[in-house]
Parts: sequence; structure tokens; C-alpha cells
Amino acid sequence: MITTTRMNTRTNNKCPIDIVTGFLGSGKTTLLGNILREGEFEGASVIINEYGKAGLDHRLIRRVKERTVLLAGGCVCCNRREDLIAELKNMLNEHQSGAISLDRVVIETTGLADPAPILFSILTHPLLVHHYYIETVAVCLDAVNGEMHLENNPESVKQIAAADRVIITKTDISTPENLERLRQRIVQINPAAHIQEAVHGHVSVPILTPVTGLLASRRATNQPPRDEKSDGSAAGHATNIRSMAIGFDEPLDWLAFGIWLSMLLQKHGEKVFRVKGIVDVGEDGPIVLDGVQHIIHPPRHLEDWKDYETRQSQIVFIMRDIEPRRIMDSLTAFQHLIGARPEIQEINLEPFA
Amino acid sequence: MCILCGELVMHVHWTDQKTHDREYSNTVVVGELQRDRMRDRLRRVRYVNQILSFYGLNFKDWNGSRYLLSDRKGRQEVVGDLGALWPEAQKMSGNRIDPLDPELLAYLGGHDHHHDHDHAHEHPHE
Repeated sequence: MITTTRMNTRTNNKCPIDIVTGFLGSGKTTLLGNILREGEFEGASVIINEYGKAGLDHRLIRRVKERTVLLAGGCVCCNRREDLIAELKNMLNEHQSGAISLDRVVIETTGLADPAPILFSILTHPLLVHHYYIETVAVCLDAVNGEMHLENNPESVKQIAAADRVIITKTDISTPENLERLRQRIVQINPAAHIQEAVHGHVSVPILTPVTGLLASRRATNQPPRDEKSDGSAAGHATNIRSMAIGFDEPLDWLAFGIWLSMLLQKHGEKVFRVKGIVDVGEDGPIVLDGVQHIIHPPRHLEDWKDYETRQSQIVFIMRDIEPRRIMDSLTAFQHLIGARPEIQEINLEPFA
Repeated sequence: MCILCGELVMHVHWTDQKTHDREYSNTVVVGELQRDRMRDRLRRVRYVNQILSFYGLNFKDWNGSRYLLSDRKGRQEVVGDLGALWPEAQKMSGNRIDPLDPELLAYLGGHDHHHDHDHAHEHPHE
């Protein structure tokens, strides 16, 4: 059933992992329960970190207690989630001994969980990285309390930054104005996130599928950037999040770009919440780049550009405490190595101002 | 595991992951991609040196499998990939390496004026 470009480019046979996260009470479990009743996800195994009230009956559910191992000298994103590693290994063993079929794994995290350590645990594990890949990170945000979470909880902002899809839940008990304001905030934090709304825990489009295209949400809603000031209740600590989208006038030299990005992440990885983009390297298809803090997914080479509107590189950066201008200055100085001149396509300075 | 040095290669850095269609082929002909791989490695070494020369450091390929990082005092370190290079280069440079540093950027901007010229003299033996 998984006929995505991601699988097509690989001759190997990895199992997709979808991560569903979001604050307590944001409707993760309800949403998950509904999704899992759909045919496509019948073969999915589910790992959850907490007991929810909503029923996820008659299916393979593993409950694991969160066990995080702090690695010496590592930053917050580079923690290992031993619980998940152990459970994913178990599943692999059971699959290989024929006890279970392993089509897909869905991980539901606790409300406060930062998705970065989950990605880090899987993508840097010498065994797991060969058997699993992360397909989608979906974040649930409650339409009623979402804004409050974003303003008061840096964790919530990090979740949005790490998301491929943001699902606004409880839209049925919110007002259209609130909903609109929340959508705009999400787009300003993460211009690459795909935003969907859920009514009574149901979404019209399957959410656990890979997102194609960048900056889709802004284009779809066609809204001008927000210019009015809010009521001033925004918390100070969240105002240093910046997001930007950069395009390039020519195909990039992937080798040189890799040098630049690895150098940037070595120095500033903790402040770079997300790097997501499609890169034209002058071949038939683009390279899909996706990174959360220090962790870069194995870059994927697509066969063609059919999922995208134009054949052009586009990279979204979400950062804390780094001025977008400094990234532009750096890419401009590196342009002779990288082979292309950067140009700003979108910039969001003060998502909470 | 590397059978020559006995070192476990546990993780492939993302900059060394396959990114070309041809690399996903099921059949691998011995030596087929070696020329491409060596050319890419040497190109990477050349690019990295344009940056590291600002810090007085030198980077070179070592047997097509590792890289050798050295400074002007004669200190040397073997590194496997870019993921290992930058922390090691930070140590040798006294934590000065920053791609956002205006001084480095000014150096690269000026440096690239003479890009072709430098290029011709960098690897006379190539």
C-alpha cells in the first residue's frame, strides 16, 4: 500500500515509522484511533508512551515506559530513547521469526516529548537505521489551547518546527477567527508544515502519508503575512524563533553544500530547529533534504520533479537566535563553492510579535 | 568493519550517503564507481581546504578511505568523514570555526576572486 516516491527510490525494504506527537489533551489518541481503523493502516503496529482514554482496541499496541539516556557531552536533541530502540528491535525480531507482520510502525509520544531524540535514536542506530525510516512527523495542536501552548511552552514550538504535518484538532469547538490566527502562527514558525484540520477527531485526508512540496500551506490558504500586532500577551522567550525559505538561481553542488551545512550544524545545530528542502543538483530529480537539529535524515534522491511545481531548489530554515541575514551572508560568501547564489523567498521574523 | 584497521564503521555520515540513482543499483561491479568516488573525495578535499586555510589547517585524502587533518605545528588527526572533521578542526583551531563568522566570509569572498588561479596551483600533481 505504500507507494510513495520515498520507497520507489530505494531498492531496500525498510519499514516506515510515523510519529504522532502533540501536547496533552491535543487529541492525539482520538485521532490515532480513527486513523488506525482505516484500511491502509490495518497492518500498523503502534507504540505508545502513555495510557489514553480513547480506545485503540484489537490491535497490536505496545506500551513502553519512556526511558531516555542522556549521552555524555550531547545536547538535548542527542538523547537516546532506549525504550523505543528496545521495542523497535523486539518488533524486528518478531517480524523476522514470522510472529508478526511489520508494515508500518506508529509511535505516539507523550505530550511533552521533543521529537528530535526519537529521530536521533532511530537514524543513528547501526541496526535500526537499516530496517526503518521516518516517514512523517505529525503534530496535533488543539484549536482552543494551541496558541497558549505555543506562547508558553518552548517544547510546543519545537514540535511544530519538527513537524511535517500539523493537525489542528477540536476545530468544532473553536471560532473561525481563532483558527485563522493559529494557522498563521503555525505557518510563521514552520513554513514547510502541511496544516490540516480535524473535526471530532476525523481528518479528510490521510495524515500519515509523506508530504510532498514545500510551502504548501501558505499557497493553499493564500493569506497575506500577518501585520497586525497581537494583544501583547506573547511570552518573551518565544520571540527569537525565525524561519526563512531560500531559493537558488542555479543547481547546487551537493558536495559543497554538504560541507557548508555540516559545518553550520556542528557549530549551531542546537539553534537550528529544522532544515527542510528540495535541492536541484542538476540531475533528473532533486535531492530531498530533511534535518532536525543535528540529525539529518539520509538524503533521498527522487527520480523526477513531478511532485513539485517548479524545478528549483528551495530550503526552509527554522532557527532560534540566528538572524536570517547571517545565513544569507554565509551562503552568499560560499556561493562560488556551492555553485549558486541564494535568494530569499520568504522570511518570518517574529512569529509571536 | 574495516578489515585493514579493524575499526568499526557504525554510522555513515549523511554527506556520504548515496544520492545518485546509479548508486541504488542492485549489482555492483567491482571498481565501477571508484573513479567517481575518488574524484568526489578530491573535490571535497579541495573545497574544505579553501575554508580551512583561513584557520591555518590542512585537509587531505588518506588512501581513499580516511582524511588527514593537520595544522602548522605538525599536529595530525585522522578523521573518517565530515561529521568527525568539524569537531576535530574546532579543537585544532581553538573553537574558532563558524560558517557565520564575518571574517571567514570576507576571506572566502576575497579568496574566490582568485578562484581559478588558486585552483590551478592547488594540486599541480593531479
